[in-house]
Amino acid sequence: MSHLPFAGIRILDFTWYAVGPVTTKYFADYGADVVRIESAARLDGLRLAPPWKDAHPGVNNSQFFASFNTSKRGLALDMSKPRAREIFLKMLPWADVVTESFTPKTLRNWGLDYASMRAIKPDLIMLSTCMQGQTGPHRDYPGFGNLMAALSGFYHISGYSEAEPCPPYGAYTDFIAPRFSACALIAALDYRRRTGKGQFIDMAQYEASLHNVAPMLVDYFASGRVLGPTGNRSERYTPHGAYRCTDEDGHERWIAIAVADDSEWQALIAVMGNPPVDARFATMLGRFHDQAALDEFVGSIVRTRGADELTVALQAAGVSAYPVQNCMDLHRDENLEAFGFWHWLDHKEMGPSPYEGLEHRMSRTPGGLQRPAPALGQHTDEVLGEILGMAAAEIEELKREKVIY
Amino acid sequence: MRSVLLDGMRMLDLTDEKGALCGKMFADMGAEVIKVEPPQGCSTRRIPPFLDDEPGLEHSLYFLAFQAGKRSITLNLESAEGRELLKQLVKRSDFLVEAFPLGYLESLGLGYDTLAELNPRLIHASITPFGDKGPGKDYKAADIVSWASGGAMFLMGQEGRPPLQMSVPQAWLHAGAEAAVASMIAHYPRQADGLGQHIVVNAQACVVWTLMNEQAMPLLHGDYLRRSGVFTGAIGGRRKTVYQCKDGHVSFLIAGGAYFNSTNAVIAWMKEEGAAPAWLAEGGGLKTLTPSGFMAASAADLKELDDAEEAVQSFFLTKTKKELWQNILQRRLFGAPLANAADIADDAQLKARDYFVTVDHAGLGRKFTLPGAFAKMSETPVGPQGAAPQLGQHNREIYGGLLGLSKTEIVELRAAGII
Repeated sequence: MSHLPFAGIRILDFTWYAVGPVTTKYFADYGADVVRIESAARLDGLRLAPPWKDAHPGVNNSQFFASFNTSKRGLALDMSKPRAREIFLKMLPWADVVTESFTPKTLRNWGLDYASMRAIKPDLIMLSTCMQGQTGPHRDYPGFGNLMAALSGFYHISGYSEAEPCPPYGAYTDFIAPRFSACALIAALDYRRRTGKGQFIDMAQYEASLHNVAPMLVDYFASGRVLGPTGNRSERYTPHGAYRCTDEDGHERWIAIAVADDSEWQALIAVMGNPPVDARFATMLGRFHDQAALDEFVGSIVRTRGADELTVALQAAGVSAYPVQNCMDLHRDENLEAFGFWHWLDHKEMGPSPYEGLEHRMSRTPGGLQRPAPALGQHTDEVLGEILGMAAAEIEELKREKVIY
Repeated sequence: MRSVLLDGMRMLDLTDEKGALCGKMFADMGAEVIKVEPPQGCSTRRIPPFLDDEPGLEHSLYFLAFQAGKRSITLNLESAEGRELLKQLVKRSDFLVEAFPLGYLESLGLGYDTLAELNPRLIHASITPFGDKGPGKDYKAADIVSWASGGAMFLMGQEGRPPLQMSVPQAWLHAGAEAAVASMIAHYPRQADGLGQHIVVNAQACVVWTLMNEQAMPLLHGDYLRRSGVFTGAIGGRRKTVYQCKDGHVSFLIAGGAYFNSTNAVIAWMKEEGAAPAWLAEGGGLKTLTPSGFMAASAADLKELDDAEEAVQSFFLTKTKKELWQNILQRRLFGAPLANAADIADDAQLKARDYFVTVDHAGLGRKFTLPGAFAKMSETPVGPQGAAPQLGQHNREIYGGLLGLSKTEIVELRAAGII
């Protein structure tokens, strides 16, 4: 018997790509029984994207998919078929929560809106997450988190200048929204326990993500100021930026440094061996006044140092600094290692594969990766047998008819 | 009206910018969040920009954004009486979140073990830059340093030029939101068995979790991704993701796979307007893209895609952001304008959903407009519960009402510099 926080909570999970699966991963990694319902006819796009085991594409070979779907069970059901929808409705009373992340019309077309499901399961909690929400003129806007990152302002505040935008990597807002939707969903479960009432959660990735640019918006409404890209300039720290160190094995290495006051600046200069310093740079104000020259100076004294050893020296002197880690460096990072961040799990088809762990640790009820992500339909027989008591012969027949896989 | 979602829950928020969003999310869900500030004010009161460009403890727009809906008390933890008051508050609270250097609370006799003895129900979240075990457990980390530590910074910027952060620093917002999720996860069993616990949030790991599919690339494909300005190296190839338009930029991607229909739709639009070059207009679309394959493979294929990007770029230069956005919606293109604050404030969808919320700030005699509900919940609406507090605004209410101190005692504590 699991003593994890969500032991006994059951989720039927239609979500795909990132926001939904990363949300339900919090539940699965903490003991909920999350059944990922996937269509073999319309695969989760992440199953079709790298990285692949041995760089070899295959629906069960994507670590992109695997990362976001640990601890879940996989049920392959072709929901475009009426019999599949019947099976889903029979499973519904078993579930506490239904989650989905299609554009709003998909579930409507299946005749599976919240009202109809609630008629079967009165205290159901349902989370619908999409780009722009279930209502409004743009509700059916299809997209990915990279487009949402542009639409919600992140791209505009990323770059060396207005003319040189440099967007954040990937589907950035996909990694903002899940924390908001997970909070909403847990709170809804708690509310249901107190009151017996389920509810519908309409989650717009857009509306959650705008909280990560809240000061920019509050400023605009209050003052009309439109924030643009400011490179690495800060109004609080100087110097503040990334500076190139010595290359290592032919790879460029940079260090991020932020100096909060004059005593930290003096500490930095001491760590660098007290090189001659322009007198203007002795004070915060002086450094703010010519940041281009300051960056050039800091760049020149850092250039011959190693990013790792300089980090240790600067931190020992009380200066905020760390190497600008690339994705290879992260696997050698001793702080991530000490936290126990990386895990190797034995996936059914991929074999031992590298998974990211949790971003936090709990003292009493530690969660974690309960098992690797499911292969497509890996638990179809098990789930249908267990939840619906379906006999093997019926399962075989449904497979022949390609209702399930 | 307060959200009833977390009705009756009380959080002590001792964080600075490293956790401001955690308490904000709890306040939005209806918890009573008490911001415990040192007598000189939380450091987030000093973060620019400032209202009317006038720096002042009540003027930070960062503070006004992320502390909205919380209450403020002042408390000097460096004094014995201050520590005693915190213990009294802990006895009456459900959550505590802080982002002090490791060991600081222990040095004051206020570590988790001590607080848990006073209140076994307490959920105590400690937000840290690098966790509590590694060689960097005592490291200082400004936001840019955490952004760098988790790999996100390396991927932003142009080749050969410095890696970048965003103008609104992001790393600590991820950590704050993670503290909120973890606290909620711990809350769920606590409401059944009455036992709290200690949580350590790791900001570096939170930033790693923004890297989408790149973390495992080096191990499975043998190399790591380099930053490349507006081009994406993700998922093979090197494709342009940001195009210039008449009055700004728009994000768009020419590719196959999920982007196949969108790519064809923009070519059709160019044809309609006579803006497609002959090779594209007459050739029946791009030869190299397929609905199933995301990217072309051969050098000749890539040449065709480069040429197509150039043609689309010329076309987009004749359009405004607004025109492009309208067509993206009508033609179901995978695209989006690089919206700025003014565009977002004016967005028809957000207006239709009554997203933005305006709150009265009585102390400043001003109204502030904030991002609204992070989710629309049918039974228990959430969202901003009021304006950010002035420094110590709720001292009387909390010390008098909650702890039952007399007016004289409050005056004395104030005179002694404890509150």
